[in-house]
Amino acid sequence: MSSTTSRTSAKVQRWIDVLTALLSHTFPQTFVELARAVPGYLADGSVAAGEPSGAVKRMFERDKLELRTSGVPIETIGEEGDEESRYRLRSTDFYLPYLEIATQRGTIKPTKVDRHGYRSLSELTFGADELVAIAEAAVRARQLGDPVLRGDIDSAVRKLAVDMPLGAASAGDGTYIVQPRAVADAATFESLGDALFRQKRVTFDYTSMGRGEVSRRTVEPYGLFFVNSHWYLVARDVGKDAFRNFRVSRISGLEVNNAKAGTPDFEIPASFSLRAHARSKNAWELGDDQAVEAVVDIRGASGAARAAAALGASHGPSESVRRFTIRRVDVFARWLLSFAGELVPLEPPALVEEYKRQVAATWAVYTREKAS
Amino acid sequence: MTAPAAEQLKRILTLIPHLADGEEHPIEEVAELAGVDRQRLVADLTSVSERYDTPGGWVDGVSITVDPNNVSVRTSHFLRPMRLTMPELCALELGLGLLHRERSAEELPAIERATERLRKAITQLPSNEQHERLRVAELAAAGDPEHLATLRGALRAKKKVRLRYRAGSRKESSERVICPYSLVFASGAWFVIAYCDDSEGMRFFRVDRVEGATQLAQGFTPDPNVDIASIAGDKPFVGAPGQVMTVRYSPRIARWICEREGGTLETDGSLISDYPLGDMGWAVRHVLQYGPDAEALAPVELRAEIVRRLDGIGG
Repeated sequence: MSSTTSRTSAKVQRWIDVLTALLSHTFPQTFVELARAVPGYLADGSVAAGEPSGAVKRMFERDKLELRTSGVPIETIGEEGDEESRYRLRSTDFYLPYLEIATQRGTIKPTKVDRHGYRSLSELTFGADELVAIAEAAVRARQLGDPVLRGDIDSAVRKLAVDMPLGAASAGDGTYIVQPRAVADAATFESLGDALFRQKRVTFDYTSMGRGEVSRRTVEPYGLFFVNSHWYLVARDVGKDAFRNFRVSRISGLEVNNAKAGTPDFEIPASFSLRAHARSKNAWELGDDQAVEAVVDIRGASGAARAAAALGASHGPSESVRRFTIRRVDVFARWLLSFAGELVPLEPPALVEEYKRQVAATWAVYTREKAS
Repeated sequence: MTAPAAEQLKRILTLIPHLADGEEHPIEEVAELAGVDRQRLVADLTSVSERYDTPGGWVDGVSITVDPNNVSVRTSHFLRPMRLTMPELCALELGLGLLHRERSAEELPAIERATERLRKAITQLPSNEQHERLRVAELAAAGDPEHLATLRGALRAKKKVRLRYRAGSRKESSERVICPYSLVFASGAWFVIAYCDDSEGMRFFRVDRVEGATQLAQGFTPDPNVDIASIAGDKPFVGAPGQVMTVRYSPRIARWICEREGGTLETDGSLISDYPLGDMGWAVRHVLQYGPDAEALAPVELRAEIVRRLDGIGG
């Protein structure tokens, strides 16, 4: 067994002992009372002597913090680290309630554990349709390609499956989410997930597809969002002092700032909403340019033209004239061009000019070929 | 970082409720349950069952026995799984949020109730707030959710569907009968992959262009030789193959196209790609969206149509 594996095993053994000791008592325990039941804390003899060493106390503080990070709700009665403080883990706070399923023929109840510590667990009744929704939600979230998300889904489903037949509820609904060809690696997702949770700065190489350049960026990660089949990191670019979206598949060589590991490097402003930020936007709505109103005449009636018209708002009495809010004139002009005359810009003049320029440039591509 | 220890603890706490009946359980079955391979499982369990320290005030702990084929656990603790953690809840909520956007009005209450119910099954910790809002996902709307619900219902029941559909290039919708094989989200849009009785072949239909969908009483048996994953992964935005369209992308955008669709860059940095061409209207739009950075090289009919449309605009 390697020394790392051995350290990991020793830690897991100690954690199990700490949990066992806490769950064995209804009343809060002091550290010394607790430590007597945890062999990992007895090695240097200080606990037995009634004077726990600083090393043992620090070990307990780290264990407590890491167990809480793993979701274990250890309560501290008193000040953290104080010798007089007491610790408690209520079984009702730790164990999953009994999950029942309400069906038309009655409620299906799980087998209960008839032992001390389990009798007080509550019951949570799910409808059969809710069960199907959970199973399908799990499938859908797994399909998004983020391995951290998939790991969390899998472990949630394993817990729920103790009482509920989630596998039988749905093997999926026949839906596929097609992954893009370029996907980010698992290590990048894991490091980003860790940096997000701890609010640590990250540094990485980013390939800008427009110019094909690779640049080293240091950013403060605010969130990960999946939109239009890709995962993006939204972050404050420290060098540019501006928000940027980074496609995760174009990130490489990622390093999380581990200086002052237990202290956040930054705060996410309370006004920041990842959901609002990630809301699906068209390419012409993105960018730092001033937003302007564009007026477009819908001259075609194809399915594509009608769908495009629906993206704009009404403008004046004519149903065929629509208004769009845009930030990137060039991108919007090119989008209009793709409708090959079915959508024509009317305002502002800068957009009309850009549209004409792109039409002429594209036409030149074909006529140049014809001339040759 | 303590991730390996935390992961190991999580696996062990998840397994014990399934195993702690005093009986021996085949290792292969347990490994499948834990979602790990046999080697990892044995390492997990052995590492915590082999103890070299002398229990002092040893409480009624956990005893795990592992032999080459079986594992058994004896304990009076951890007989229930741990409550859901906040990251687990957030992951499920993200999936439920996606369903909420896709589903018909009558399916929404169950999704909302499930979300509310799951919130009662989590551990309460001050750090919970830190996990929220770290990830969101959104799939493009699929037009009328009722149509999507009809298609999904027919897909499950293996029933044919009468579809009123407006193709991208058509001004009027038309009706056809389809056998839905799968719903696919690709390149930012929803599609139903189906066998079309009228055109006697597999077709993609963009769900936001469906104007009406009615499940029919007539069922169908899916062709077992149809590989949906393979079809879905191969440029699903393209219609049925009839001809081949060849497009040259300029070096300015070639890398971006390459990342999305694959292929090999030419020595000058450009990219030449072939596509099945089933719909001239789609092909014109596909090429023109890149302006002068894309040029249709073939077929000649497509080039002629692009020039005709540009002339019409005033190119």
